[in-house]
Amino acid sequence: MMDYARMKFYCDESRCIECDGCSVACAEAHELPVGISRRKVVTINEGIPGKEMSTSIACMHCTDAPCQQVCPVDCFYIREDGIVLHDKNKCIGCGYCLYACPFGAPQFPRDGAFGAKGAMDKCTMCAGGPLETNSVHERELYGQNRIAEGKVPVCAAMCSTKALLVGDAESVSNVFRARVMARGGKGINSPYGWDKAYKNQ
Amino acid sequence: MRKYLVMFIALLGLASVAYAADSQIWGEMRIQNILGYGKEGSSHLGVWFTMLQHKYFAWIFLGVLIGVPGAFYIHYRIIGPKVFPHSAKKYYAFNLYNRIIHQVAAVSFLVIIPTGFIIVFGDFFGGGTLVRMAKNLHGFFTIPFTIVVIPMALMWLKEALFNMDDIKWFMILGGYLSKEKKPILAGKFNAGQKMWYWVAILGGITMILSGSFMFFLDFKMQMLHDLTGLSQIDLLRAAAIIHNVMGFAVLALFITHVYMSMFAIKGAVHSIITGYVEEEEVKILHSTWYKKLKDQGKF
Repeated sequence: MMDYARMKFYCDESRCIECDGCSVACAEAHELPVGISRRKVVTINEGIPGKEMSTSIACMHCTDAPCQQVCPVDCFYIREDGIVLHDKNKCIGCGYCLYACPFGAPQFPRDGAFGAKGAMDKCTMCAGGPLETNSVHERELYGQNRIAEGKVPVCAAMCSTKALLVGDAESVSNVFRARVMARGGKGINSPYGWDKAYKNQ
Repeated sequence: MRKYLVMFIALLGLASVAYAADSQIWGEMRIQNILGYGKEGSSHLGVWFTMLQHKYFAWIFLGVLIGVPGAFYIHYRIIGPKVFPHSAKKYYAFNLYNRIIHQVAAVSFLVIIPTGFIIVFGDFFGGGTLVRMAKNLHGFFTIPFTIVVIPMALMWLKEALFNMDDIKWFMILGGYLSKEKKPILAGKFNAGQKMWYWVAILGGITMILSGSFMFFLDFKMQMLHDLTGLSQIDLLRAAAIIHNVMGFAVLALFITHVYMSMFAIKGAVHSIITGYVEEEEVKILHSTWYKKLKDQGKF
């Protein structure tokens, strides 16, 4: 049996400097409308010495994708490499995926009738959508498809401190392990959000 | 009171404006929500909603949609409808105002309920334009219902309060399990109608509120957070759960209401169209009311 790589996001909290570069790069690369931020940098325990930390959050492309479980129109699909994508032409903008999401990833532009929620928008891990790869339509609806071009998702590609990593599970784990070793085992030992996103792997 | 109403509407209106800058979901609260998701001491509403919506809601709706009409079909075949002559005297029971209010609510329900179904079984309908339109109509037809729900609640409140007759009515299930035409204790509304009144009014208001939470999504109402202790996203999760669960009750009783007026009691539906109820029908099915009307010389 072919063993597919499982794509994962990982943000190293000890490296993230809250520069917001990832979310700006994402918004620019995918030409997102104002009010939609697929990726967001958050800081917790702000001002408390030793406890303050920042991390970058977007759709984590969960193994058990709760969004997919609750979608009434079944617009989500999970690629063999684990990337969770959705079909905006099917999506009705009901908001259920947002209620199910542990990360607050789904966003809703107000473009429907009478200010109703339009089709949901979220991080695609720069893998586009169900439309023809690299077509104009795909780019319009989902943004760039960098994965198809063999490029790293733009947020991780531009991260200046290399806090934000993306890649197959094994490579990401190796980098993470090496960094924790280099720190002498200090710091956070479980990447943020991994317990929720990648439960069974 | 009016001040609060204006504030409420203004806040909902401003919700979409404040969307990006001051978001209750994607702003500062986002991190707390993430940290708390499914953790001990949290509300677990995200986990609950996911489980209920994934495994149960659609099946329960399907069960109600098939089960309730199925039971009535059996009732119709075995016991059959109640037929009254409709040639005798009639009494003017519902004035034009009553009927207009009722008809506005009726039309709203006739749109809201089928579109609700299309949303629940959105995957069956393939999503996209049809289901999206259903979602928009589902929200749009809430407006007429919202306008008439309070007048409707007030105009029938007195008749809808439960009394001793209702216990006896429930004991024999309103006499619908027998073919006999024996006078049944009930005022202008019997216990079944009263039940529908309360589900339609209180349930309806619950549906309006939970539905508008989900429609407006990212609004700020500090009062709600203080009252419930829930974050915005947890409020929405609770709204989604309540909207579905209350939906079961509203749906089941709506089907019952339609069956009773259209099928089980032949011609009963005309009373809300013309306003006139038929003597024999009142005498048997609303005997307490009949006595009162007779004393007043109305028949």
